[in-house]
Amino acid sequence: MIEYQWRIVLAYLPDYLHAAVLALRITVLGFVLAFALAVIAALARDSGSRVLRFAGACYVEVIRNTPVLLQIFIVYFAFPTLGIRLSAVTAGIIALGVNVGAYLTEVVRAGFSSVERGQLEAAQVLGLSRLSVFTYIVAPQALRNVYPSLVNNLVQVLLGTSLLSTIAVPEITGVATVINARTLLFVQVFGIAVVAYLILSYGLSVAADVIRRLLFRAPSAGRPASGTPKRRAIRAAIGTRP
Amino acid sequence: MWGSLPILWSGFILTLALSAVSIAGSMVLGLIVAALRTARIPLVPIVARAYVEVFRGSPIPITLLFVYFGAALYLGYSVNLFVAAAVGLSVYHSAFVAEIIRSGIEAVPAGQHEAAQILGLKAHQTFRWVVLPQTVKIALPPLIGQCISLIKDTSIASIIGLVELMKAGQSIVDRTSDPLSIYLTVAVFYFALCYPLSVWVTRKQRKVVHQ
Repeated sequence: MIEYQWRIVLAYLPDYLHAAVLALRITVLGFVLAFALAVIAALARDSGSRVLRFAGACYVEVIRNTPVLLQIFIVYFAFPTLGIRLSAVTAGIIALGVNVGAYLTEVVRAGFSSVERGQLEAAQVLGLSRLSVFTYIVAPQALRNVYPSLVNNLVQVLLGTSLLSTIAVPEITGVATVINARTLLFVQVFGIAVVAYLILSYGLSVAADVIRRLLFRAPSAGRPASGTPKRRAIRAAIGTRP
Repeated sequence: MWGSLPILWSGFILTLALSAVSIAGSMVLGLIVAALRTARIPLVPIVARAYVEVFRGSPIPITLLFVYFGAALYLGYSVNLFVAAAVGLSVYHSAFVAEIIRSGIEAVPAGQHEAAQILGLKAHQTFRWVVLPQTVKIALPPLIGQCISLIKDTSIASIIGLVELMKAGQSIVDRTSDPLSIYLTVAVFYFALCYPLSVWVTRKQRKVVHQ
């Protein structure tokens, strides 16, 4: 009986696969958008202009203190009244990108401030232009220092795609809901969905780790974490989960 | 627009109630999971760890749908949506609460345990008077941060049909077709609820890090 139930649900495996591919595509595009927004907002928040600082703070606070589901609905249902019509997938990418971008803003800022002042001074003394200081000195170190938080937020985009089922995007949760309505085998249907998410989120972390090893080989490899055990634990406790 | 405010208000009250019940539930469950995670009994910490990892790697709608359909199958379709949503939210967020509490406990230096032992305190006394006060101080800001996430996640209860703030907004939009002003009003409600908490968390975190 149970074997038969599993066989029914496993027959839908191709649907799950398509859904997973779509979820992954939305995740990657959403994260790229989020990262771009985060860099802009971080530069705005740390800039000399008061107006820019205020605009950056508004973006971060408004997005972080309202539900992502509401943001998705605003982009998909409310934007058309302003004349902006988007497909469900595009609306989803934009909403998730804007949402995670607000959390990433703080991560990027932390990355910028983690680069020691002496590095900037040394680069200045060496006569590097401001742009090269940013691209060759600040950006690589900042990226390396906040890399784990970036991966965290990438996984957050993936988990956020599950909400796009509400605007009829056929991603994993949406497909699972449809299969559940057909078979009513909710344990198997949502069990497979959970496994799919776990594989994807774990896979993304592993892929990110491979990229980290390729990108930042020399100084970061084998370097012990800084600070006393207590300080490290406090940092872990404070965490970066949005 | 103004005529729909009473509906939004009653949805807001339900969101408040759901948040309060789920926060309490997630704290109790989270404390239990954290205790199991640090217990010195074979296999128990591994199971607790698996529990945490599953919820951290899967999205909350799955948990809510699972609880909802599970309850509907075994208890009939008269299942109380509020209870289903509260159970789903509590279970999901308990995994995150457990991790915060665990790292809070581990942040208390070993010297504190040793000192308490030398002073002749029993294990439960050490926990109650030495470890717990320090854990609370360290873990409180991230716990409140988790509460903010939970309050925002109550909006996802709308997918199982509970008419909280989000669903109330949706139902008004369905009738009036004025999504922009309705959803922005809903956003104001959530913002008013979460922003003060966020400000408090930011201020506390700055203090903890600078100490």
